[in-house]
Amino acid sequence: MKELLIVEDDLEMQEFYKDMLEGEPFTVTLVPNAEEGQKKIKEKIYNLVILDILMDGVTGDRFFALLRRDSRYKEVPVIMASALDEKTYRCFQALGNVSFLEKPFNKERLLSEISMRFGSKK
Amino acid sequence: MFTNKKEIILTINQIIFSSLDIREVYETMSKELLKVIDFDRMSVTLITEDNNLYETFVLSKDYAYTELKEGVQYPMEGSLMKRVVQFRQPVIVEDTSKGRFLTDSVLYKEGIHSRLGYPLEHKGRVIGSVNFGSKRKDYYSRKHIAFFSQIAPQLAMAIENTRLFNGIKEAEEKYRTVIENSPDIIFECTKDGEFLLMSPSVEKITGYPANQFYENRGYGLSLCHKEDQERVQREILQILNGRNNSLMDIEFRVIHKQGHVVWLSLEMLPMKQNNDIVGIEGFCRDITERKKLDELKDNLVRDVTHELKTPVAKIEMAIDMFERSIALGDKVSLGRGSQIHEILRNNVNRLKNSIKNILDISKLESGVEPLKLSDISITDIVKQIVCEQKDAASAKNNVLTHQLPSGIPIVKADRDMIYHLTNHLVNNAIKFTEHGKIIISARALPDAVEVTVEDTGRGLDEKTRERVFEKFYKETPSAFGSGIGLAICKNIVQKHKGRIWVESEGKGKGSQFKFTLPMIADTKQKVTTNPK
Repeated sequence: MKELLIVEDDLEMQEFYKDMLEGEPFTVTLVPNAEEGQKKIKEKIYNLVILDILMDGVTGDRFFALLRRDSRYKEVPVIMASALDEKTYRCFQALGNVSFLEKPFNKERLLSEISMRFGSKK
Repeated sequence: MFTNKKEIILTINQIIFSSLDIREVYETMSKELLKVIDFDRMSVTLITEDNNLYETFVLSKDYAYTELKEGVQYPMEGSLMKRVVQFRQPVIVEDTSKGRFLTDSVLYKEGIHSRLGYPLEHKGRVIGSVNFGSKRKDYYSRKHIAFFSQIAPQLAMAIENTRLFNGIKEAEEKYRTVIENSPDIIFECTKDGEFLLMSPSVEKITGYPANQFYENRGYGLSLCHKEDQERVQREILQILNGRNNSLMDIEFRVIHKQGHVVWLSLEMLPMKQNNDIVGIEGFCRDITERKKLDELKDNLVRDVTHELKTPVAKIEMAIDMFERSIALGDKVSLGRGSQIHEILRNNVNRLKNSIKNILDISKLESGVEPLKLSDISITDIVKQIVCEQKDAASAKNNVLTHQLPSGIPIVKADRDMIYHLTNHLVNNAIKFTEHGKIIISARALPDAVEVTVEDTGRGLDEKTRERVFEKFYKETPSAFGSGIGLAICKNIVQKHKGRIWVESEGKGKGSQFKFTLPMIADTKQKVTTNPK
C-alpha cells in the first residue's frame, strides 16, 4: 500500500486531513512539525509528502530543501499546501517534482491531487 | 626709444605663449613693454558675455591708489572701451581733463593725463582692450599704435586661451567635486574591465577603496552576488556589443567587505571614442534601504493575506466537512457536529480579532479618534486583567500574579486603551510562556507610573528586542498573529506621551515589557484609596 506523509502543524487542518482521507486505499502518517517529519523520513521512504509551508520552527520550505538533500528523497513527489497562492512559492519549483495545493480545498480536490501525484516523476 | 623693437616683440610673443597664467604673462610683458613704451599704468579690460559691461582683467600696481579695481565690472556706456569696440580702432585721449569719456575724470584725478586704448581682437571679434595711461599730456601717438599692433593679436589669443583654460579648469573642478562628493558611485570602465574612473563613494557603499578597483581589472564584477553575476555580465556585454545604445538600468546585489548584502541600482551607457564603443560609464546607487522596505511590504502583504485567508479557508473546509457528513448519513453525529462547531467558532473569532487589529491600528495611526481621558486606576486595571486571564495562564501551566504596592497614583488616560495595552502584553506573555510565572507590577516614579509585565518564557534576542514594536514584525514568518499587536501598544503609549520598551537577557531567559504613563500635574496628588 502506498504511503503518504503529511506535515501540518495546525490541529484543525490535521482534523480536515483525517476526515477527508479516512478509508482511502493508502496509509496516512500525520506529523505536527518538520522535526517529527524528519524522524519519519529517516525510517522509511514515503511515496508522497504533503507539506504545510508556514510552520513554527523549521518551515515547510526549509523542510523541503532538507528533504531533497536526502538521496532517497531526490525524486519523491511533494505537495506544498498553503492559504497563500501559488506564485509566492514558485521558487520551490527548482527543487523538483512539486505541486501546489491552495487552502481551502475539498475532499475531491485533495484526492485528485494525491492520486495524480503518487508516483509522479515530473 | 624704440631700440631693439623686433627683439622685444619677439620676447613678448614668447612670454605670451609661455604660460597659461595671465597674471604671469601680464607682469613679464609689462616689464618688457616698459622698455619700449612709456606708461604709468596699464590694464586689460574685457567685455562681459552680455556685452553691456566690461571687467578690468589686470591692472598695473604702479599706482598706490586707484578707483578702478580689478575684477569689478563697469558699464560700457560712455566708456573709452565702448568706442574701441564700436570702431575696432585704437583710441587716443590726449587730455583727460576734457572729460571725453566717463572714466577720464577719475583718471585725471589720479594723475593720468593721456590714454591709449587698443582693441584686442580674437577670431574677428573684439574681446576687450589693452589700455595705457601716462602722466604726461598728449603723450600717445601713431608710433605706439603701430608698435602695439604687432603684439595685440597674440595677446588676445593668449587671453582667450587663458579664459578657455580657466573655463575648463573650473568645469573640471566642478566635475571633480561632484564625483568626489557624490553619494552614488560614478565610474568609467574600459572593455577590458579596467577602471578609468571610480568615485570615492565606492568605499562607503562596498567597503572597498577606489584604488582597489583601479589596480584590479574586473574587480567590480567579482564583488557581485553569485546569483546576479551572470545577469550583470550579460547586460554589460549587450552594451559593449552595441546592442543597447540607450541608458540601461539594472538592480543587483554586491557583497560588502563585511559580508552583508548591498543592493545597487546601476545605470550605464556605452562610452564611445570615434564612434567605437570602448567601455561603459555610469553610476550605481545604493538602494538597500528601498529594497528592505519593498521586502517588508511584500512580507506584510503576504502575512496579512495569510492571516485573513487561513481562518476563511478553515471555515470553508468546516462547511465542506458538514455537508459531506449530511450527504453520507443525513444526520451529523454529535462528536462530528461539535468538532465542526468548534472549528467554526475558533476561526470566526480569529478572523474577527485580525480585522479588529487592522482597523485599530489604522484608526490609531490616522489619529481620527481622540483619547477619552479620565482618571483611571492602574491598580484596578491590573487586578481585573489578572482575574480575567487566570484560566488562560493556567491552561499553559503558568502562574499569573500581580505585585501592586500601595499608593500607585491615579493617572489621566483613556481607560479602554490602557486596558487593551496591558491585556495585550499579558496575552503575549501567556502565549510565549509554559510552566512559568507571569507577574504584572506597577510602581510610582516621580512623574509617571511604570507598569511591568514580566514572564519567564521564551525571551527575545537583541535583534527582536529592537524590532518587536514595529508594525507587522514577526520573529519567524509562521509566528502566530498579525504582528500588529505590539505596534498598537506602542501607538497607545505614544498617544499618552509615555514610553514602552522591552528588557530580556536573551533567548529562553524571559522578558519584561515595560511602559510608563506620565502624570498630568493636577492629578499628581491623587492616589488610589484602596490599593490592595
